[in-house]
Amino acid sequence: MNNKKKLLWIAAIFAAALILPLIIGEFWVHIAIQILIMGLFATSFNMIFGYMGQLSFGHAAYFGIGAYATGLLIVKASIPLHFSLAASMIVAGLSAVVFGYFCVRLTGIYFAILTLAFGQLIFYIVFQWYSFTGGDDGLQGVVPPDFLFSAYSYYYFTLIIVTAALIVMWMIGESPFGYTMRSIRDNDSRTRFLGINVRAYMHVNFIIASMFAGLAGGLFGPFNRSIAPDLLSWHHSGIPVFMAVIGGSRSFFGPFLGCIIYTFLMAFITGFTQYWPLVIGTIIILVVLFAPGGILGILESRIKALLSWKGIDEIGKKTDDESY
Amino acid sequence: MPDDFILKIENLNKSFGGVKATSNVNYKMKSGELSAIIGPNGAGKSTFFNLLTGFHRVDSGSVFYKGRDITNWHPHSIARLGIARAFQVSNIYHTLTAYENIRQAILTQQKKTLNFFTPARKLAERETMELLDTIGLHEQAHVTAGNLSQGDKKRLELALALGCRPDLLFLDEPTAGMSAEETHDTMMLVKKLNMELGLTILFTEHDMSVVFGYAQRLTVLHLGAIISEGTPAEVRADENVQKVYLGVEP
Repeated sequence: MNNKKKLLWIAAIFAAALILPLIIGEFWVHIAIQILIMGLFATSFNMIFGYMGQLSFGHAAYFGIGAYATGLLIVKASIPLHFSLAASMIVAGLSAVVFGYFCVRLTGIYFAILTLAFGQLIFYIVFQWYSFTGGDDGLQGVVPPDFLFSAYSYYYFTLIIVTAALIVMWMIGESPFGYTMRSIRDNDSRTRFLGINVRAYMHVNFIIASMFAGLAGGLFGPFNRSIAPDLLSWHHSGIPVFMAVIGGSRSFFGPFLGCIIYTFLMAFITGFTQYWPLVIGTIIILVVLFAPGGILGILESRIKALLSWKGIDEIGKKTDDESY
Repeated sequence: MPDDFILKIENLNKSFGGVKATSNVNYKMKSGELSAIIGPNGAGKSTFFNLLTGFHRVDSGSVFYKGRDITNWHPHSIARLGIARAFQVSNIYHTLTAYENIRQAILTQQKKTLNFFTPARKLAERETMELLDTIGLHEQAHVTAGNLSQGDKKRLELALALGCRPDLLFLDEPTAGMSAEETHDTMMLVKKLNMELGLTILFTEHDMSVVFGYAQRLTVLHLGAIISEGTPAEVRADENVQKVYLGVEP
């Protein structure tokens, strides 16, 4: 019954997403595409942050690697988009095999610092390697195939891929592997004594999360028509952190909701003031102080009966109490 | 040379800085035993368990499990062999429900944790409910573990160890912080597990009265070294034990 209700909600949201472009203008379709891509990015980030309990400050590196993989394949080799998207996932995943190996050796602040350091390392390589990546000029002419040229068709293309990716990530989150991640987040030492090789599992999760970040990056290139090294920088790594905190990192859809709020507000507010960072900074402070479970944390405890979501209010309270 | 010892420890040593936490410990356990290690706080009981389960590296000496040298193996590899432990301070998954806590142990034991696509709620339902029954947490199945009472947390702690379906079980002060009644219930359960399932159990305790009714064999640790070993009656009569442990002048 609970699951049926949940499925109904999700089906309704998907139906709304299908008819959305018929109602809104082209500018907002662009914003909607951006929400989908960044929502996928934020959800993949939350596999590490919400499920595994580690804060990555370098997740944009894998988004950027994915973007450059698709971009370079389109610009230099004219590889069709669906193949280059698959390549984006693979290249981002392979990078995570290497860098993740070192990152998962540490936890807490050291994990955050190491992901940040590797992120910046990759950023500087892309930034300096003019002959291959175009350096700080970026990569121009990353155009989607003709049938995806209009914003509307690219929206539907992105909607299908992001939905499929979210379903896969949702399934992983609900699987024994997903629960093993929650176990590691709650108590890694106990998980070890149950017989789990904690580092290896964290590494696998890091790789999966990076692959979906790579997919998001791959979708971003043809949408933006160009790619800049900024996509890999620590600044860009901070965005999914904001989104997850605003939406709520303890639920699967929290970061996506945070992404909707973040992207919509940014589009709206930058329309009449340049002080967007001031606004988002204020929002983050308010959320952290008064709603540590994020917006979805509040919503879920308020309309718990409606969503029949168990134990959410305890989880909301627990977010600031992970010192064990 | 084959022997029927499930656990054999030879000349085990461990120091922290200048403090000798384990000093030349030799210990053997036969399959199916229910034995206890006693000693005042700070005697090195927890350190001893930490060395056996791979949490600390040993300085010197060897640990054999079923004839296999497992000295300095990783905790997860040791757990995989069928050695489980329950902790003194309940060491559970605070944001998961009691049911999810136990299911995690069972799924790990069933080697299903690398399953990415089957919903966990559809797996190990029967085994999880059975264990919840055994441990007496049936009614609290869907309570978030962090909200359980202290006694129930302790019970869940034991259930996590049992979910591993171990052959050898280490219990670090299983009744610490429990009321007299809870202590009795828990020790009866431990005895039942030993008698009915044939589990080999080694537990530590600082309260001697708890130990005497249940353990077949006692080992007394003092300052990291074994000072006495034998049946409860023998240990109680040992002058050394009375001196250092019971505080009785001979």
